[in-house]
Amino acid sequence: MSSFFIKKKGNAKVSKTDEKTVAMKRKVDGDSGSKGRSKKLNSRLNEEISSDSEPESPAIKKKLRLAKLYLDQLREEEEKKAEESFETDLIAGRLQEEVLEQKGKLQRLVAKDFLPPDAADLRLLRGHKLPVTCLVISPDDKQIFSAAKDCSIIKWDVESGKKLHTIAGGRKGTEDRHVGHTAHILCMAVSSDGKYLATGDMNKLIMIWEAATCKHLYKFTGHRGPVSGLSFRKGTHDLYSASHDRSVKVWNVDENAYVETLFGHQDVITGLDCLSRECCVTAGGRDRTVRVWKIAEESQLVFHGHESSIDCIQLINEEHMITGADDGSLALWSVNRKKPLSTVKKAHGCHGDQGLEQPHWISSVAALQNTDTVASGSHNSKVQLWRCGEGYRGLHPLFSVPVAGFVNSLKFSSTGDFLVAGVGQEHRLGRWWRNKEAKNGLYIIPLKKRTNSDQEATNGE
Amino acid sequence: MRIKTEAILADLDCSMASKRKQGILKRKLAPEAPGGMGPGDRAVSRGSKQSSSKTAGRQDVEEDSDDDQSSSENEAVEDASASADSDEEEEEEEVEEGAESDGSSDGEAGSDSGSEDGDSDTNEATQSGVQSDGRLQTEEDIKRELSTMSFEDIMALQSKVGRKMYNEVAYGAKSKAAHERKKRLNKNRPTEISAKRPAPFLRQVVHVKKSVLRDPRFDDLSGEYKPEIFEQTYGFIQDLKRKEMQVVQKRLRSVKSAKKKEQLELLLKRMVNQEKAHERQKMKREKELEMKRTHREMVGEGQRPFYLNKGDQRRLELAAKYGDLKRSGKLDNFLSKKRKRNAAKDRRKLPFQLKPQ
Repeated sequence: MSSFFIKKKGNAKVSKTDEKTVAMKRKVDGDSGSKGRSKKLNSRLNEEISSDSEPESPAIKKKLRLAKLYLDQLREEEEKKAEESFETDLIAGRLQEEVLEQKGKLQRLVAKDFLPPDAADLRLLRGHKLPVTCLVISPDDKQIFSAAKDCSIIKWDVESGKKLHTIAGGRKGTEDRHVGHTAHILCMAVSSDGKYLATGDMNKLIMIWEAATCKHLYKFTGHRGPVSGLSFRKGTHDLYSASHDRSVKVWNVDENAYVETLFGHQDVITGLDCLSRECCVTAGGRDRTVRVWKIAEESQLVFHGHESSIDCIQLINEEHMITGADDGSLALWSVNRKKPLSTVKKAHGCHGDQGLEQPHWISSVAALQNTDTVASGSHNSKVQLWRCGEGYRGLHPLFSVPVAGFVNSLKFSSTGDFLVAGVGQEHRLGRWWRNKEAKNGLYIIPLKKRTNSDQEATNGE
Repeated sequence: MRIKTEAILADLDCSMASKRKQGILKRKLAPEAPGGMGPGDRAVSRGSKQSSSKTAGRQDVEEDSDDDQSSSENEAVEDASASADSDEEEEEEEVEEGAESDGSSDGEAGSDSGSEDGDSDTNEATQSGVQSDGRLQTEEDIKRELSTMSFEDIMALQSKVGRKMYNEVAYGAKSKAAHERKKRLNKNRPTEISAKRPAPFLRQVVHVKKSVLRDPRFDDLSGEYKPEIFEQTYGFIQDLKRKEMQVVQKRLRSVKSAKKKEQLELLLKRMVNQEKAHERQKMKREKELEMKRTHREMVGEGQRPFYLNKGDQRRLELAAKYGDLKRSGKLDNFLSKKRKRNAAKDRRKLPFQLKPQ
């Protein structure tokens, strides 16, 4: 299938379907810039295309045009990255990576290059009065949105650490007067073009904000329980939401419309995540299942394997995910197997009196997209980074970063330059414990890479 | 107009919900529905669940229409044509019904939609191939109604029912192939199930294992009772009993009150007797084993084994017993007691005149 894109002299056959699918997906993504085209590649394309006998139908013509546009865009991007004249290898490599990414098989092995940061490099952004419950990083890695138990949302600038905007929280009972949330905000999501911010709270509301100005746009009602998971589909403005009423709802933010509901969970849904496919993945709490929802086909895949309530979930690539449970176990899953590929029990150790030890709950997990690095946070004052084995077959600890308090939310930046941890004195869902020495705020943990002579251009910005 | 729509929707909501609770909608087939919709309408090609539930809803609506229409029309003040009103209501009810099967995560609504689906499926099994005309008619009617509705009403409907369902209804439902159970390629892959069925109200989130109680006396798993094996594995109980006897003897020496002493003595006697009985049983078993062994040896040596009859066996035992008594010196005691007992017995059997008064 990828034979078209790998340089082989004798390969004159055009595999139309691949080019079409890739082109269509890329067009929808739209985050690569536009650029010129390689003469060699162009001539090769032209030959191959003209050799076919039926490009007359408008659909096929359109697809051809899109494929050419895609290649143009790729070319320009590569030129920007590499100053010297590029080679067709780079495009081929890049195309191959894109294809693997869509298939869900891309795994860039970057974990071994990460260096543990010094304690002095950690930056703490303080501003929330109560524990931080969730956070998101804008797609350009320049801003962070964070929400706390005081129902406020703060937009931070990463470089300077200053607050750009604050949306204050209202008191309980002022729902009609107050523009903003009046109950704990449990989840947030930002669209991949950085336009919309969606936040869900315990009052069964989903609020849509304009990310640039933090202006309130719309309010989605319809859930019958606290909204516990939100995610935008990459490249679109489709919003998926999960709630404590055991349903997953699909919304269209452009048209402010509710699209449909999906059922299946037997108990409260604790987390939701989505990448660019029309599929989302949810963690069901006490029913100990992970479900992958195929929205177009209206069906779900059910995975079992945890022994206790699953609290958090993140997708690593289109086919693999990582979950954390409240018995301290981390599990790495593949969409093709009903049981986890690998589990780590008591990932953050135990606490308690002698003989009554309980494992630390895993309160958040994060994954660096399309790589083998994942992070998990709990309340044993450490953020632990893990390396997934080859083909996601194992989980090995990498290093840990000292962070005091409950790590309620973890997010990697899109390039892997830093990791943001939202930390509070209490767990984000309740007040079982209170850690008085901890500080409520965001820790920005820079992740330095080992300097390598053969560092690829695709790594880093 | 909007007030009316909302009122109608709200009204139907309650009436539908209450009727569903009573299970009336399921059972009625109503062939005398005014719109000429027969039972064919109920059983639609398995194609889309929504359309089947819709037509089921429509059917049921026909039944309700007698009660509801009058009341709802009384509410409304507009003098739109009665048919248009009724059609509109029905259409909204239909879509509303479909919505309730899709859009609400309510327990009862969910179970009802599940049951409705099952119902329509079974109906479809019984009545086949009557209804394509009927279905087309309904779809056209729906589209006509939608075209006459105001934009606000359409928006309200969309937000209630969901954009996807509305699109399917308004622009034609994509008839999916019969919803067969998806086969997974190998057993390591996850199971795939439909995402449109809500979880039932009474559901087990965490399965708790029911512990099975076993009586080892009547359980085949315990096997047959074999005294030798029992002695071997549970011999420690005899040791415990002996220890307890010693404890009771000690207490007996130190106890002061007469009542307690009596109790303890009885207890000790009981324990001693039990142990003796146990020993006797053991001796018996051992003797039998001996006999069997000798027999086997005899057979082995080639001689014919001889079996004692009961009388001889008893005499042998008696002889052994006398031997033991002689050794322990209690023979005289035993014999005198025996003589007394026999005398008493014989005296009882004397003829009446010779008995001492």
